[in-house]
Amino acid sequence: MKDNFNIVGKRVVRSDSLDKVTGAARYTADIKLPNILVGKVLRSPYPHARIVSIDLKRALKVPGVKAAISGFDAYGIKWGVFRYTQDHAMLPTDKVRYIGEDVAAVAAVDEETALEALSYIKVDYEPLPAVFDPIESMKEGAPQIHAEHKNNINIHIHIDVGEVDKAMGKAFLVREDTFKAAGEAYAMMEPYAVVASYANGYLDLWMPNAGPHVRAKALSNLLKLPLNKVRIRHINSGGAFGGRSEVAPGDLVASLLSIKAGRPVKLVLSREENATSSRQVHDIMATIKTGMKKDGTIVAKDYRVIYNGGAYSSTGPIATSIPFYVYEECYRFPNVRYNGYRVFTNKGIRGMYGCHGRAFLAGNEAQMDLMAKELGIDPVDIRLKNGLKPGEVTATKSKITSCGLKDTIKAASERTNFKKRWARKSGLKGIGMGCIAIMCGFPMGFRSGSSCYVKINDDGQATLVTGLVDNGQGNESMVIQVASEVLGIPMKDINLVCADTEVTNLDPGAYSQAAAFVGANAVRVACENARKKIVSIAAQKLRVKAADIGLKDGLAYSMKEPDKKMPISWVVREAFFRGEPVAATGSYFPNIDFEREWVSRPWGQMAGTFSFGTSIAEVSIDPETGKIAMPRFTTAHDCGRAINPMAVEGQMDGSVQQAGVAAITEGNLWDKGHLLNPDLLEYKVPLACDMPDIDTIIISSLDPEGPFGAKEGGLTVRMNAYSAVACAVTNATGELFEELPLTPDKVLTMLERKKGVKG
Amino acid sequence: MILPKFEYKKAKSVAEAVAFYHDHKGRARYLAGGTDLIPLIKLRLSTPTAVIDLKDIEELKAVSRNNGGWLTVGANVTLFNLKNDPVVREYFPALYESLDATSCETLQMRGTIGGNILQDTHCLLYNKSLEWRTARGFCYKMGGAACNVVPNAKACFSNYCSDNAPSLITLSAQVKLVGPRGERTVELEKIFSGDGRSPFLVEPGEILTEILIPLKKTQGAYEKLRVRDSMDYPLAGVAVSVKGAAARACVGGIGLAPRLYDLKNINEITIKEASDRIYADAKPVSNTVLSAIYRKRMAGALLKKAIRRVLQEGWK
Repeated sequence: MKDNFNIVGKRVVRSDSLDKVTGAARYTADIKLPNILVGKVLRSPYPHARIVSIDLKRALKVPGVKAAISGFDAYGIKWGVFRYTQDHAMLPTDKVRYIGEDVAAVAAVDEETALEALSYIKVDYEPLPAVFDPIESMKEGAPQIHAEHKNNINIHIHIDVGEVDKAMGKAFLVREDTFKAAGEAYAMMEPYAVVASYANGYLDLWMPNAGPHVRAKALSNLLKLPLNKVRIRHINSGGAFGGRSEVAPGDLVASLLSIKAGRPVKLVLSREENATSSRQVHDIMATIKTGMKKDGTIVAKDYRVIYNGGAYSSTGPIATSIPFYVYEECYRFPNVRYNGYRVFTNKGIRGMYGCHGRAFLAGNEAQMDLMAKELGIDPVDIRLKNGLKPGEVTATKSKITSCGLKDTIKAASERTNFKKRWARKSGLKGIGMGCIAIMCGFPMGFRSGSSCYVKINDDGQATLVTGLVDNGQGNESMVIQVASEVLGIPMKDINLVCADTEVTNLDPGAYSQAAAFVGANAVRVACENARKKIVSIAAQKLRVKAADIGLKDGLAYSMKEPDKKMPISWVVREAFFRGEPVAATGSYFPNIDFEREWVSRPWGQMAGTFSFGTSIAEVSIDPETGKIAMPRFTTAHDCGRAINPMAVEGQMDGSVQQAGVAAITEGNLWDKGHLLNPDLLEYKVPLACDMPDIDTIIISSLDPEGPFGAKEGGLTVRMNAYSAVACAVTNATGELFEELPLTPDKVLTMLERKKGVKG
Repeated sequence: MILPKFEYKKAKSVAEAVAFYHDHKGRARYLAGGTDLIPLIKLRLSTPTAVIDLKDIEELKAVSRNNGGWLTVGANVTLFNLKNDPVVREYFPALYESLDATSCETLQMRGTIGGNILQDTHCLLYNKSLEWRTARGFCYKMGGAACNVVPNAKACFSNYCSDNAPSLITLSAQVKLVGPRGERTVELEKIFSGDGRSPFLVEPGEILTEILIPLKKTQGAYEKLRVRDSMDYPLAGVAVSVKGAAARACVGGIGLAPRLYDLKNINEITIKEASDRIYADAKPVSNTVLSAIYRKRMAGALLKKAIRRVLQEGWK
């Protein structure tokens, strides 16, 4: 693959950076429209209760109140990602299923008036028995949360490859452990916020979101509006981390209020409401049984994983599957059985998270280290032995193409002198390693591909139109950089229109790690098509062969005779004269097996390609308090090729915080159905002072399909950083963790368990 | 979350502030840095009709040595300025460390030492919005009839989370209170009521105006248990100040008031005894992000850590 580029692979300042560091970028809460109203939501104080009646009459009489709604003002339609998961009315009329569920709402001229009106809404409830623990929830006689789901089992993913029991019987070493992890909060910078404006038959919504097209479709269904009447607009500040992926109750609430009031409505949740009433992360309990040969080869894996799904399905089948897939895309499992259960409880709604599945993934990795140690093998060799190589096929039949797993293991371990330090540890210091593979996109039906339209304007500048989404990852800057490379037009001269359902075509969104591999690929193809037109005219005008034309810095020039050159703007003007303006489209559709279905047919090609990564954490534990200090973190990432290494490193750094350091601090705490830490004081997002020194290593496997060889950049670290921490703690203590986060009380218990064994 | 409506008054003197308070018949709150009060009002945990701002009272902003051998610290002195006062660093290392461990520097620049001492007690089930608390049910501290943490408890178990009151207590600090009925000076450890609904023995309308610290050099340390190394309130905190062979230790962050321990002679035996007593006396409950039993054990462990550090640093 060509390796000498004008701008791809260069450390450029991201196109969105200046606005963000100067505060010019807009949050949703900053949006002001004429006559805009403030929306406020009345929420359920019960974890489970029948709704007897909702009376909005007094609220509507408060001066300044322009609309009041409940589920009885909606169309009785339930939302779900799949036909078989349509169970979420967003505004319920039958019963409430969690504390904080949206029940009714008002729109008023100001917040005080809205709050006053809420206090006049009268809701009669008939409380029902509630259940919060998934194990209790699955028992006979537990309160039934959705009538159609017996034992409250929302989703059961069953995967069975090879002959697990037979292989386990023959294995030299077998071990079974159970690992738990508290669910996390997305803790994005801006709490959930939306502006809805209904006028002239069109509904416009502004909010940060991962997939505007899927959201528009969901809202058009819920509101019985034609799809082209729902337009999702673009906001790229506020953050998502997976928490803005699906349509949310607030979307419906703000839309209904705006339709009723005939005025725009802004709904901004408080930090506490954001935690109790927008999607949070699943609590997980993973039982992992592993069989190994004497030489460390993994011969069988047997999994039973339970996800606390909260009150509704959300992305149920996907959330129940992903932790398994990212692991089987990394290691060779000749025999594997996975039973994943997503269970309904009377807790808040749950969704996918960038760091989803830490109990399962960290548990697998820490257990592997302990088993390997028993066999006299270190963490590096056990991973090299069992890790997948280019050309191999995963247990569920995904072919691995480009694969730098081995290189990431080697680079990270050499950088940290891992083998020596792991073997000769001193005191309560430890070093640990975690590996993972990430699918770059997954099956999303006809929305799995992306397309781009590019036009070159009469001053030689370009406009890109793509459905691609940026929630802060740097996707916008990435595609501008790709276009700049192909067209030879400086990044500053490229405008981007994206993530707006009115003008952009379908795109997977910032949802399945597809932005670089799929979205940027479509941009590349479109720009190459436009480039051909520019080159053809320039070759004629400069009287050289098309193959001799280069494009750079807004100029078309002869590569053999560089004095022969002309501005691209002249080429474009010529094209206009000819009645053939330089405009082009381009698409990319990844190689995915669309027969694959999460529940009914869990095999076949998952994604067009996979990224890989290895993280290494170094910890030292205070023997008296159990508190973990993390002085250094090293992480190597095969992202195919870094379009912008600085942006990829930024993603890696952020992932070390959000998954790695968070593994010792973050977790939702509950008192039955009450979330105890719905705020940023008691929910412990790691602070700057808690951060280790970070060493990032980019490995370029140059994917044959990816744009300039690129794959997703950053998510691998989000899904292996906690494993590195868990393994480092295992190295320091000789013990496996029972539950994440590894707060000092839990670590002290591990230390004492160890002493107990010795004594 | 928006603030509810209240009247805002800015006092120019202590006397004026007390007069404003009188005008509002006890429904007013004094405001200094606001880092404790404003969140309480936003959460509707405090619903004053008026807020009397003390920030402009110049007489409360000074740190001075006076002849009687005291350091007098005005209640409006910010935590950050106090931390950077050379006398504090030289004479009162325990206080220096507790100030440094308070929240983060940005909030240290806003928060005052008077406000830090008179901050309300905390509980994971108390510092929440009205909506959250309504769903959970009101506890003693909110005027309800039960504790939401300990079933059948007869009292409130919220935690007093000032980092600096424990270190000031080890330094034998006193506080001056000025109110409608004149002024009085009391030992800091005597201002705690032991009642979560109203944790301080401060009369209605009284203002804490000064902190008086005996100006004698000490060695000292402050050990704080927290999940993150900034921002967080103490889950347990132990301050130790040493003068000669004697030490005073004070435990905060667990329960309604700091607890003081005197060590007449510092040696292995007295340290262990004090640590055991601290462990036995600490009665934490499950109202923070870490388990109660762990915090109980850490209270004793932090004492050992703090004393060890003082002795090691003393040897340097």
